[in-house]
Amino acid sequence: MKNKTLLSYRGPFYIELISVFGSNVRNYTNAYSNARKKLFRIFIELSQNVSYYSEDFHMVNNESRIGVGELNLKEFESHFTFTTKNLVKRSDSDILIQRCNIINSSSISDLRQLKREQRLNSPGEKFGARIGLIQAVMLSQNKINYQYEEVDKDFAYLSITVKIDKN
Amino acid sequence: MEDILIKSSPETPYFPEVNFNANTGLCEISGESYMEETYKFFLPLSSWIKDYINNIRKGIEFNVKLIYLNTSSTKCILDILEILKEYENKGGQVKVVWYYDKEDPDMIDEVEDFEAESGIKIELREFA
Repeated sequence: MKNKTLLSYRGPFYIELISVFGSNVRNYTNAYSNARKKLFRIFIELSQNVSYYSEDFHMVNNESRIGVGELNLKEFESHFTFTTKNLVKRSDSDILIQRCNIINSSSISDLRQLKREQRLNSPGEKFGARIGLIQAVMLSQNKINYQYEEVDKDFAYLSITVKIDKN
Repeated sequence: MEDILIKSSPETPYFPEVNFNANTGLCEISGESYMEETYKFFLPLSSWIKDYINNIRKGIEFNVKLIYLNTSSTKCILDILEILKEYENKGGQVKVVWYYDKEDPDMIDEVEDFEAESGIKIELREFA
């Protein structure tokens, strides 16, 4: 098997869609008990990051902000990859890339400590716990791959890929 | 004081089932939790626990039977555990039980993190 696209989507990340896609992700990975739970959890975390933080968004009833972006799930011989891509402000890019680099250079035990500290210190409410990316790396035990692509003077695309081993 | 009873639905699997009983002090949450605006769902639950502690002042048992919770939900659960720990520190009788699947080591790690962050003892029990 070279690689096979299991799921590909571009548009608003409504919770109803994320939930249906999540159910499909579980079905695709039924044969891999180790990957099944991990991939579903990573899928939800990264998809909800797009939904909450994409700078391209829809307003629903002038109230709820639903982020627009892309997702892509691929299957390879020994692993799956899950990628999300969304618009970010260029003014936020340094901090986002720095966050990715810190996560990639940390051991799993350091990440666990970082996760505990960030969750305890997060203001909560609409900001959530802000540990989704850390959680994705802790679950997959693989580094994230990120790509940054400038769009204009204000915005850029940030894509995040996580590799999840089948066994 | 009113009970809280929220039934799960196959149309909205991202909302957990909730059963908080004011007579027995038994508070149970089960299913999955990854809704949007998580804090709006959990705020009435933490407010209910605060009311119970301030007005009923009896023992309370918090049973968690969640097979998945997103990181936003973990922040809300941590808030509840902190409220319970404060009650325990003031002499309240508190028990926290977390049910888990034995093939889910990531959930056991999560519970260890909750214990470290909140300072409360959590009893792990395998799903039957």
